[in-house]
Amino acid sequence: MLNYIWAGLIIASFLFALAQDGLDIARDRYRNGQPLPIELRLGAGADPAAKSLPVRVRISQEEFRKHFGGVGGAPAEEYSATVERTSRGMLLRFKPGESFPAPLSVIRDNTSPDDKELRGALGEVNFTDGAARTTVTFPPVRFVKLNAITNAAFEFAKTAVTIALGLIGALALWLGLVKIAERSGLVNLVVIAARPLLRPLFPQVPPDHPAFGMITLSLAANVLGLGNAGTPLGIRAMEELQKLNPTDDTATDPMVMFLAINTASVQIVPPPTLVAIMGLEAGRIYFPMMLVTGLGTVAAIVAVKVLGLLPGYRASDPNKPAGSGAVKR
Amino acid sequence: MNTFRAVIELVSPFVLPVLIVGFVAYGWARGVRVYEVFIEGAKEGFGVAVTIIPYLVAILFAIAMFRASGAMDLIIDGLRPALSVIGFPPEVLPMAIVRPLTGSGSAAVLLEMKQQYGADSLLTRIAGVIYGSSETTFYVIAVYFGAVNIRKTRHALPAGLIADLVAVLLAVYVVRWMLG
Repeated sequence: MLNYIWAGLIIASFLFALAQDGLDIARDRYRNGQPLPIELRLGAGADPAAKSLPVRVRISQEEFRKHFGGVGGAPAEEYSATVERTSRGMLLRFKPGESFPAPLSVIRDNTSPDDKELRGALGEVNFTDGAARTTVTFPPVRFVKLNAITNAAFEFAKTAVTIALGLIGALALWLGLVKIAERSGLVNLVVIAARPLLRPLFPQVPPDHPAFGMITLSLAANVLGLGNAGTPLGIRAMEELQKLNPTDDTATDPMVMFLAINTASVQIVPPPTLVAIMGLEAGRIYFPMMLVTGLGTVAAIVAVKVLGLLPGYRASDPNKPAGSGAVKR
Repeated sequence: MNTFRAVIELVSPFVLPVLIVGFVAYGWARGVRVYEVFIEGAKEGFGVAVTIIPYLVAILFAIAMFRASGAMDLIIDGLRPALSVIGFPPEVLPMAIVRPLTGSGSAAVLLEMKQQYGADSLLTRIAGVIYGSSETTFYVIAVYFGAVNIRKTRHALPAGLIADLVAVLLAVYVVRWMLG
C-alpha cells in the first residue's frame, strides 16, 4: 500500500512537471530569445562610456503585458541595475533583491539560482540626455518544473537530516522523562483505574487469567506513552490470549477487541516525536487530542461490537460452536 | 461555550510543565534514582532521531517533489469542493492517508506541514492531533497477530480503520471548535 502511494507520488510529480513544461514550451511562456523593450536612465553626472554604469531601468506596463501575452503581475516603476560592457556585448545586471513580477521572477530564479540576479543582453544603447530606449533579451528558460522537482528532492533530503538532528534534544528530554515514569511504576496506577473499564469489554477472558492482566498492563503502558515498553507487553497479551484460542490461525473476539483499542490508542502523555516536532504547540493541542483519542477509542469499541454481529464474522468466531461464554483451557 | 474555550486556553500552558515536573516528582517520591534513570532514557534520543532519518528523507523528498510539481495544489484545489461538504480541509489529507501506514512517515508529513504552514496554523494543529490521537493501525495489526501466527484477523483491520476515520474527522471538528 505504502509502496504504491510513495512510488505514485514520485512518478506523478515527474509526469506532471513534464506536462507543464511541455505546455510552457508550446506557449513560449518565457519568450525565450525575444527582446523586451525597456528604458534606461543614467544617474546625474555618470559617464556613459564607463565600463560599469549604474542605471535605473523602466519597464512600461504596456510593453510588459504585450511581451508576455498578458500573463503575470505588473512590474515596479523603476529597477536599479548596472550596465556592463563585456567582450560579448552589453550586459544588463539587475540589482539582487529587487522584486520582479511573475514571469521575470521565474526567469531570474532559473537562470541564476545561486545569486538570484536577473541578467540579460542589451540591444543597441545610445544615451541622449541621460536616457536611452533599448531592449533586453533574457537567457532562455526551459523545464522550470523539472528543475523545481529535482531541486525539491535534494533540498528536502538535506532538510530531513537537519530536522532529525534538531529533534535529538527534545526527544532526549521526553524519553528521559518517560523512562522515569516507567521506573516509578506509574503504570500500576493506570492499571487500577483501567481494570473496571476494560472488564466488560472482554467477557470471554476470565478475570483472573493472566491474559486480562497483560491486556490492562499493555494498554496502560500505551496510555502513558511508553511506546517501547508497550509493544512487548502487547505481544505478551496476545500470547496469553492465544492460549485461550481453540484454533491456531483465527483471531478470537477478545484479540480483535484488544487490537482495536490498541490502534485507537488512548494516551494521556503525548508521544515523544509529537512533542519534539510541535514543541510548545504540543501543549496547546493537548486537550483536543485527548478528546479525539477518547472518542476514537469509543468508536473502535463500537465498531468491533457492531462488525462482530455481522453473520460472516460470527461464523468465523473460533468460540462459536460452544456458545459465547465458552473458554478452552 | 466561550467559557469552555477560555478554560482550555488557561489550562493548556500547564500541560507540558505539569507532565515534566509530575514525572520527576512522582519518580523521586517513589524512590527512583531520577537523574540516572533520566540519563538512561535520554540516551535513546539520539538513536530515535537517527533511526527516523531514512523515513524522513523518503517521505519528505517525495512530498516536496509532489508539491514542487504543482500536482499537490491541483489535487488539493480539485478535492476542496467535494471535501468542503463535510468541512474537511484537503491539505490534511496526506496525514490522514499516511497515519495508519507508517509512524515515522506520518511524523515526516507533520514536519513538512509545519514547514509549509507554520506550527501554530490550524492545518498543522489538525495534523498534530491526528498524529497524536491514532496509531499505525496496519503495523500494530501485523506485529501483534504476526507474533502469535494468526492469519485470519477477522474484523480487526476494518474496526481499526473505522476508528481511524472517526478520529481523523473528529480531529478536524474538535480543533476547529476548540482552537479555531
